[in-house]
Amino acid sequence: MNSRRYWKNRIPFLLTNLVCMAAITVFLLVCGNSFSAVLLILVVWALVLLAGLFLTYWTRKRQMQKLLDMAGQLSERYLISEVMELPEQAEDQVYYQLLKMAGKSMLEQIGEVRRERLEYKEYIEQWIHEIKTPITAMKLLCENHRTDWTKELLLELEKTNRFTEQALYYARSEHTEKDYSVREMSLSQVVHQAIADNKYLLLQSGVRLEVEEMEDTVYSDEKWVRFILNQLIANAVKYRSGQPVLRFSTRRQQDRVLLVVGDNGIGISSTDLPRIFEKGFTGQNGRMVQQSTGIGLYLCKRLCDKLDIGITVESSEQGTSISLAFHINCLIHEVQG
Amino acid sequence: MNQKILIVEDEPLIRNELNTLLQSNGYETVAPEELSDVIDQIKVEQPHLILLDIKLPGTSGFSLCTQIRTFSEVPIIFVTSCNTDMDELNSIMLGGDAFITKPYNTAILLAKIASLLRRAYPVKQSEQMACGGAVLRLESSSLDYHGQSVELTKNELKILYYLFKNAGKICARGDLVEFLWDNQLYVDDNALSVNINRIREKLAGIGLTDFIKTKHRQGYTI
Repeated sequence: MNSRRYWKNRIPFLLTNLVCMAAITVFLLVCGNSFSAVLLILVVWALVLLAGLFLTYWTRKRQMQKLLDMAGQLSERYLISEVMELPEQAEDQVYYQLLKMAGKSMLEQIGEVRRERLEYKEYIEQWIHEIKTPITAMKLLCENHRTDWTKELLLELEKTNRFTEQALYYARSEHTEKDYSVREMSLSQVVHQAIADNKYLLLQSGVRLEVEEMEDTVYSDEKWVRFILNQLIANAVKYRSGQPVLRFSTRRQQDRVLLVVGDNGIGISSTDLPRIFEKGFTGQNGRMVQQSTGIGLYLCKRLCDKLDIGITVESSEQGTSISLAFHINCLIHEVQG
Repeated sequence: MNQKILIVEDEPLIRNELNTLLQSNGYETVAPEELSDVIDQIKVEQPHLILLDIKLPGTSGFSLCTQIRTFSEVPIIFVTSCNTDMDELNSIMLGGDAFITKPYNTAILLAKIASLLRRAYPVKQSEQMACGGAVLRLESSSLDYHGQSVELTKNELKILYYLFKNAGKICARGDLVEFLWDNQLYVDDNALSVNINRIREKLAGIGLTDFIKTKHRQGYTI
């Protein structure tokens, strides 16, 4: 509470008192009272008045501070009217009523927006499932009637599928709690599947693949990891240079298994490196190559965070390597012997 | 006898193309257009494997699966475009053997079918292929010719397997590379030439010369 303003608000009341004091002084003096008696009355009056004023000021200030603190502690501040007590003062009650009304309409609005968002998310998911039927049909048509141009078409279908998956995971990354299931998965299998998903892209851009033997199994969600790998492969192809090579390898590091995806592409400049996981960030490389949206790596990071996979990037002019660090749960291995 | 696969799929185009794909890979197929009496058809046809779509008009793959499991242990592969974890879990709980999401990679689909069939109906006789006096032994990864034998590496075996399978036809280099990739052997165009040359040397070693012929600008043939 602003104390200067508080006292400014009290000026009319103080003026009224002063006028009353002056009137009563004149009256008492005219009635023949001694000056000292009148002075005594005035002093007592002033003291009582000031004491009363300061007491109310102090209690008001405390009340208001309590309300401010209460609101400060709430995570949803707009719910303050639900937790505060009904105030004593008549004017305060009006404000209380206003707060209640505002809070209620706010809650309605939020509910509405939430429902709309959920509906939209459901629509997107449903749409993606529907679009997959024609994509499947086109893929089968191409596979069954192979000519030179079906390969081009299959490449485009791979792209279409990657973009739809991106949309699906974008929609899902908002509410992920229910959408993943952690299970034992083989790293080698998920890498081979991700390569199969991008077969035509890799073949037609002439990428040489080096896939090391991987024996580790980790506990994670296979679909998600596959999606992340798909994004990384697409990036490696997009930012390739010279004779492109893509390496997949695993490495043990204390209680983690690192899955490393390394390429010999154009690399990421050190100034851009800290920001590559930001949403919408495209950087120097993005300006050189078309179709950079700044969504792919952002999504990778988000999904990794949810799955507790550590994602780190090293980059130089000789290429980029991205490692995914999976925890190994010693307990599970002990239980299984 | 070819193994019979029953396709339960409501989308006509996908049904037909799956039919073509599976037939060209040496399976016999049944793809009913009318799905209302599909259970009876399964009882009549006695397929070796069922490809089951989850979203079907008027019913769902899950309820069909439950019904099938009351009278048969035939391997079932669920095919769906809804890759949610609930669906995957349901399909396993109800007795499905595999779960594939659309758009599937045909190589992965065929590999899953083959591995399920191998597990459910173990083949006793050893797998081998013959062409022009040469016999390719898949399980021992070797090639016999007039009593002489030569060991093959993984890449060489797969290349020869593809050539033997398409004996008499011209195999385009691109198709051959793609086939190798489908088998997780990531060989590029140059490495393919190197591999073919090495196979030719090996075959010449056992007296089999000019077995793999190069068709200029087209590919290889045996």
